[in-house]
Amino acid sequence: MLLAYRLPREPSSPRIAVWRKLRRLGVAQVLDGLVALPLDSRNREQLEWLADEVVDARGEATIWLGELASTAQERALAAAMSAKVAAEYSRLIAAADAAEGEPPGQRKRTLGRLRRELRRIRARDYFPPPEREAALQALDRLSALIEEPV
Amino acid sequence: MRWATRRHCHVDRAACAWLIRRFVDDDPEFVFVDDAAEVPADAIGFDMRGVELSHHDGDCSFEAFLRRYELDDPVLWEIARIVHEADLADERYDAPEAAGLDVLLRGLSLTNGDERMLELTAPLFDGLYEFKKRALLLGREPS
Repeated sequence: MLLAYRLPREPSSPRIAVWRKLRRLGVAQVLDGLVALPLDSRNREQLEWLADEVVDARGEATIWLGELASTAQERALAAAMSAKVAAEYSRLIAAADAAEGEPPGQRKRTLGRLRRELRRIRARDYFPPPEREAALQALDRLSALIEEPV
Repeated sequence: MRWATRRHCHVDRAACAWLIRRFVDDDPEFVFVDDAAEVPADAIGFDMRGVELSHHDGDCSFEAFLRRYELDDPVLWEIARIVHEADLADERYDAPEAAGLDVLLRGLSLTNGDERMLELTAPLFDGLYEFKKRALLLGREPS
């Protein structure tokens, strides 16, 4: 499904709010003002609320249900979405590895923060890359370090 | 009164239906539609695009109900924070209960139709209300 939207340049706060929400949903940016998400009832509802938010901010928004004309294009779009979350998982893995050298108290706080971050990333992971498993393992390693008596 | 909402009830619609039955209307009848254009003329629509009792200014529909019907019970606002995060997960509030509630209701919606969904979730929200009420009165969580 696609959301086509246009928001006035000013004020900038609704633009930023909409952008943040789109990012949290993990949309694929097709063009400026055109984003795509895999169709399911939850995504549909979330995009509809966002469309309303755009209209409330005196913008224009329409929602489309569509499919790409070729399988190759579809795969390319899925691969691009997958690569985006893979990069997010990789940053998480790097942060988890770096935290292994932290003092125990700080390490525990870092683990909490990274677990929340992992939940956010998984919520927008529609085409899971291999990095997902690696990220889960990196957090398990960090968590095992904390459980060991110091 | 008749109330209309979108099919496939999840947390916000289920919570609104519970709120209607318990605090707004003694004898509600719920109608489920696919589109706001199908809302019967004598029904009040909620949690769907283009109706008053819906998402506005970043609020979810449950919050819209509390404002519209001036329900200023602090326990209901506590539940509103949980419903908001379960529905939108925008981290406006700190509501650790939200993730669990979201999963439970999504699971129930996979195996039950809308009417059954409202039947099943009403006692859940009754319990949540009671828990949060006692927590507020005690100043700590009840055992």
